[in-house]
Amino acid sequence: MSTAGALDRTRPPPSEELRPLELPFFHRFRLDNGLKLLVAENRKLPEVSLRLILEAGAAAERPELGGVAELTGRLLSEGAAGRSALEMAAWLDRLGAAFGASVGYDVANLSMHFLSDVSDGALDYLRAVVREPAFEEEEVARVRQERLDEIERHLDEPAVLADLRLIRTIYGDHPYGRPAGGEPETVARLGAGEVTGFHEDQYLPDGAVLIACGALDPLAFKDAVALRFDDWTGAGGISELPPPSSEAPAGGLLLVDREHSAQAEIRVGRIGMEYGAPDFFPATLANAILGGLFNSRINMNLREDKGWTYGARSSFGFRRSAGPFVVSTAVESAAAAGAFREILAEIRSLVERPPDADELRLAKNALTLSLPRQFETPSLVTRKVATQQIYELPEDYWETYVDRVEAVTPEEIVEAAGSRISAESMTLLAVAAATEVGPMLEDVGDVRVENAESG
Amino acid sequence: MSHSSSPPPRSRDASEVSFDFEEQVLDNGLRVVLHEDRAAPIVAVHLMYHVGSKDERTGRKGFAHLFEHLLFQGSEHVAESEHFKFIQNAGGTLNGSTWFDRTNYYETLPSSHLDLALWLESDRMGFFAPGITQEKLDNQRDVVKNERRQAYENRPYGLAFETVLRMAYLEGHPYRHPTIGFMEDLDAATLENVHEFFDSYYGPNNAVLVLAGDFDTKDALRRIDRYFGEIPPRPRPPPVEVRPPALDGERRGTIEDQVHVPRVYLMYHAPSFNAPEFETSDLLSHLLADGKSSRLHHGLIYDKRIAGEVHAFTWPTECAGMFFVVATARPGVSAESLEEAMMEAIAGLGGDGLNEDEVEGARNRARRALVQQLNGIGERADAFAHAAVLRGEPAYVNDAFSRYREVTLEGCAGLAGEIFDDDRLVSLHVVPSPEDSEAE
Repeated sequence: MSTAGALDRTRPPPSEELRPLELPFFHRFRLDNGLKLLVAENRKLPEVSLRLILEAGAAAERPELGGVAELTGRLLSEGAAGRSALEMAAWLDRLGAAFGASVGYDVANLSMHFLSDVSDGALDYLRAVVREPAFEEEEVARVRQERLDEIERHLDEPAVLADLRLIRTIYGDHPYGRPAGGEPETVARLGAGEVTGFHEDQYLPDGAVLIACGALDPLAFKDAVALRFDDWTGAGGISELPPPSSEAPAGGLLLVDREHSAQAEIRVGRIGMEYGAPDFFPATLANAILGGLFNSRINMNLREDKGWTYGARSSFGFRRSAGPFVVSTAVESAAAAGAFREILAEIRSLVERPPDADELRLAKNALTLSLPRQFETPSLVTRKVATQQIYELPEDYWETYVDRVEAVTPEEIVEAAGSRISAESMTLLAVAAATEVGPMLEDVGDVRVENAESG
Repeated sequence: MSHSSSPPPRSRDASEVSFDFEEQVLDNGLRVVLHEDRAAPIVAVHLMYHVGSKDERTGRKGFAHLFEHLLFQGSEHVAESEHFKFIQNAGGTLNGSTWFDRTNYYETLPSSHLDLALWLESDRMGFFAPGITQEKLDNQRDVVKNERRQAYENRPYGLAFETVLRMAYLEGHPYRHPTIGFMEDLDAATLENVHEFFDSYYGPNNAVLVLAGDFDTKDALRRIDRYFGEIPPRPRPPPVEVRPPALDGERRGTIEDQVHVPRVYLMYHAPSFNAPEFETSDLLSHLLADGKSSRLHHGLIYDKRIAGEVHAFTWPTECAGMFFVVATARPGVSAESLEEAMMEAIAGLGGDGLNEDEVEGARNRARRALVQQLNGIGERADAFAHAAVLRGEPAYVNDAFSRYREVTLEGCAGLAGEIFDDDRLVSLHVVPSPEDSEAE
């Protein structure tokens, strides 16, 4: 091999010049009814990704009707514009398009993906589900029962059970203490009247934003949307919840007894922060150092050093109000107590001393150099723009993102970790077999045992 | 190097999606597929080795996957835990996976770091042995055992697939066990096994390297030759023989789990990824369970209201193929009555039960899903690698669009009649264990 001799394998090859990222250009329109349109052309493939963001998330529901936002989202396509549920299904499936209503605490996100040769049909479909859903009592009753069955099925998953019990413990009566999709007690009460009322109040054009990216002509696309949605009127306010009580107590150590568990599902969490908080970037970097990446401290300790788990991570659930900060892992049962101790020790050490230069570099690079990947496809692009819109971030948010990350100092990270991730405020939770892990957890804290089935 | 293909024509019409690529073979036998796409400043590097769980020997089930973990633990010039760190420090993403027929290692990162990925992948292909230690083996053995606990044992219905495989294939068949393997076999793995396995299966002549994204093809080839060209080829053991499954009558079983409701798994021996009928078989899965108008959604969820979830899918295996139909019961519905309704829906695809409109819808959904699957370079590299390793023809990625379009109603009905036969059927019921039903 002629070139082999010149190759030095003992050190990593240097980086070459980084081509600057060109973010997609979005055409901005506003219809007379207030509906905002953000449209970008990308003709790489004959596809279109579209998202309609509506102020119709769980934050907009009354507590006694918890789950109505989710149920409304599911029922949009179950009969509309004079077509039955089955006819709607056949219509969408014949187009070959995908439609989904993803309803979180903040907003409802109606997303579509389709090949560009069926764009007109896809927009007709979107108009039908947004503007003319039927919400017939019979279909509401069916989908409500499907939803109740699903809630019960999901509780078979130890990870789902752990997440639900954790948020209930750390948020108490605040809406973030309940799943965004509602709980069985309130879902069971919902009928066509509640769903129709929620749709009338929340599915409004002024305050909504439609984001599209793909093989389309932006002006023609705008006209096609206007043609279908210009008779839509009404304005909705931003649905925002009160901030969770900062007085919420640390929840101690909760053991959810699930007999015959092959592992202990572990959570360590507390109330975190909202999107766009002043220390958003320092806290995001603190999390990247602690548990946001494969090479973060918690995973390197619990997985690569101890071998206790397949993986351990931490994350902030950024929302319009303060979502949770959670460390999640599943460990072999014998390591449950050790896992809690090590996680808390890693949190303490993050608060006690600034990260070293290499660690900080890794965390910053992971956030900034990954941007081109995060904007690669139409679906990814519309998701990124949706985030900017939902959280009312600056219009140049993604253009200035790299600079904002780079500006963060080690001291700011320590400070953010101290106020947002401190070990003393954490609630500890395990879903595990109590007979197996209960005794060993007594050394970690005051154990409160709950049953997996009850509550 | 030998040159062996010319790029297919390019088109941007919705009915004809095509990706340019070039294929080369290095002198040491490493096959290289290069797909240049300069839209974003990123590159996907995907290395697929033609070895998987089917190549494992008795008493070492799960070894191919354990070995995959070890390949992230450093090599002669890359220190322990540095592999992930280098890629993440470049803003990249990475992973690996093991399956019956193949094991892959891949990263997507800024194109300014292409050499970094080539350096890392070539170091573990050419200089792996000096880096491995007993300590690393023991650590990753523990990690993998916890992966088995987390993803299978502690998960509802988590042991269903391995039970189906055990029922479907006779003792000694290479597809009879799951890639995650078994605890006692993982415990038995030795450092000697690690070295043997590496020497047998991880030579350049047993791999395909795919690059997709922002690079110049000629320049990238020079770089690849520089990093990989000096790694000598190694003799590979003859491929294991995958005998066609015994089609000697249906097999039935029941297991208990900590679940609220029963779930029924039906598996039919079906065309493999290599068979000419693969796309037709795959389209049958769309007809059954993709979309709310599909047969199982319509019949079991909407009309009869006996199922909470329905799924149908093919496993694109290299040899014996598998077609799965899975349904989860609503509370109060027995596995037996659920299965009866599933069989009825499946039978409806044969004979003259299908209509042209639903087949056209299924074709449209399959092609849309294909576009969405291939819109990122990472997934595209993965598709090229699978096509090259399992089918021996990377061009399949482009052919797939027209092959799905050309599936006919008659083809669907004919294949349904052939594969949905009781002699090809494995049926597993997963039911709530008595103590869990009492808790209702």
